[in-house]
Amino acid sequence: MWRKTVTGAETQREKFACEAMTHLDDLYRIAVHLAKEPDQANDLVQETYARALGSYEQFAAGTHMKAWLAKILHNLFFDRYREAKRWVSTEEAKTVKDEPSDNWQRIPSKDAGPEGDILRRELSCKISNAIKKLPEEFRTAILLVDMEDFSYAEAAEILCCPLGTVRSRLSRGRELLHRYLKDYVEAKEKVLK
Amino acid sequence: MTLKCEEAQELIADLIDDELSPPERAAVEEHFEGCSGCRFVYHSQLALKSAVHETGAGIKAPAALRERILHDPRVFRPKPGAFESPRTSKYLRPALAAGLLVLLTLPTLYLMRRPEAKPLSMRALEIHEKIIDGELSFVRGGSAEEIKETLSRSAAGAFAPMTYDLTALKLKAVGGAVRDFDGRKVLVTVYQGNGLTVTCYTFLGTESDAPSSAERVYDSVKKINFYIYSQGRIHAVLHREGKLICILASSLPAPALLDIARSGA
Repeated sequence: MWRKTVTGAETQREKFACEAMTHLDDLYRIAVHLAKEPDQANDLVQETYARALGSYEQFAAGTHMKAWLAKILHNLFFDRYREAKRWVSTEEAKTVKDEPSDNWQRIPSKDAGPEGDILRRELSCKISNAIKKLPEEFRTAILLVDMEDFSYAEAAEILCCPLGTVRSRLSRGRELLHRYLKDYVEAKEKVLK
Repeated sequence: MTLKCEEAQELIADLIDDELSPPERAAVEEHFEGCSGCRFVYHSQLALKSAVHETGAGIKAPAALRERILHDPRVFRPKPGAFESPRTSKYLRPALAAGLLVLLTLPTLYLMRRPEAKPLSMRALEIHEKIIDGELSFVRGGSAEEIKETLSRSAAGAFAPMTYDLTALKLKAVGGAVRDFDGRKVLVTVYQGNGLTVTCYTFLGTESDAPSSAERVYDSVKKINFYIYSQGRIHAVLHREGKLICILASSLPAPALLDIARSGA
C-alpha cells in the first residue's frame, strides 16, 4: 500500500497551513511596502510561511492568526534587512520635503465599483509610493493600523513596542504622508464630508 | 464632559482608529458639533486613513507567489499517498487534470456566455450618460497634454487618444479614463464646459465597430466615413483613422457632433 495513514498532527498542520493561506494577501501587502524590491517581498512572505509552519505548535488556537503571522514577517524583515533599512531611512529623511504633490484629483462618485476604477491604479501607485518613502518605523505603524486594521494593542505586540510608541509613530507617519499626498487627501475630504 | 480644542484634537486619531471608549467618543463628537476647526482636522485624518486603506484593498498577492508557497515542502508537506509509478505519474496526472478541466469548463462557459453583450459603440453611449449623470468617476488631470500623456502611458504607448480643440464651444479636456471592453483597451477623454460634456473614446478597431443601424456620411475631401447613431438623448459619431477608431458621444445635436468629428479628423 502506497497510501500512508495521515496522522492527526499532520492533519492539524495542514489545517493550520490552509488557514494561514487565507492571510496571504494581507501579508503580501505589508511585505510589498516594507521591502524595496518585489522579489524581496515575495521571499519575505514565503519565508514567513515557512517559519510559521516550522513553529505552528506555538500558535495559541483561538488567538489572532493574522497578527501572529504579521509579527513573524516583521521580525524576519527586521533581521534580514536591518542594514539596508538603516541606509534607506537616512536617505528618506533627506527627500521628504522635496516630494512633489499629486495634481490628480478624484471626483466624487456614486459608483465606486469597477466602472469607476478609471486610472485608479495610478493613484494607488502614488499612495503606495508615498508610503514606501516613509521612514520604516512610521511606515510599519501606518501599514498595520491604517492598511491592515490592527488595533493599537495588536500593532504594539507585533512591533514589540509600547502602545504609546505606536500612537506617536502613527501620528508622525500620518503627518508626513499627508504632506506627500496633500492634494489627493483634500479631494478625498470633500467626498467624505 | 466638555472638551477644549487641544483635548479634542488629541483624541481625533484614536477616534478614527476606533480606540476611544463610548464616553470619550461621545465627548469628541459633541465637541465637533460646535467646532468646525476640529471637524476639519478629523475629516482630513479620516480621508488619509481611507485613502491608505483603499490602496491596500487593491493589492493582492501574485498568483506565482501563491503557487510557490503551495509547493513549498516546508509549508505544505507532500502527501505520501501521492506516490505513484514514475512512468505513469509523469503523463497520466496532467492528462487527467486536463480532462477534468475540460469537463468542468465546458458547462461553465455555456452557463456564463453573454447572450446580449452590447457592442462597444453602444456601451460608449451608456458610459457617457453615466459620466454626465455623475454616476461614474473619472480622473481629473491638469492640462490636455497631461491627460493625453497619462492615457498614452496607460495604453503602454501602443496608441494615443485622439484629441480635439473645442475651445470654440468653450469645452476643454478635464479628465481621462482607461476602460477595458472585452479585452480591448479604450482611452476616454472627457471634455466639459458651458454645461456640456463631450466624451471621446479611442481604441484599436475597424469600421465594423460601427452599429449596423448607424447612418453613414462620407466626407469626400477627407475620404473618411463617419457613422452617426443615437440612443435616447445621447448621440455619437464614429470614424476610423488608420487602425484607430474614435467615437465622440454627447447630448449635442448629431450634426454639431459630426462637425466636431470632421474638424479633428
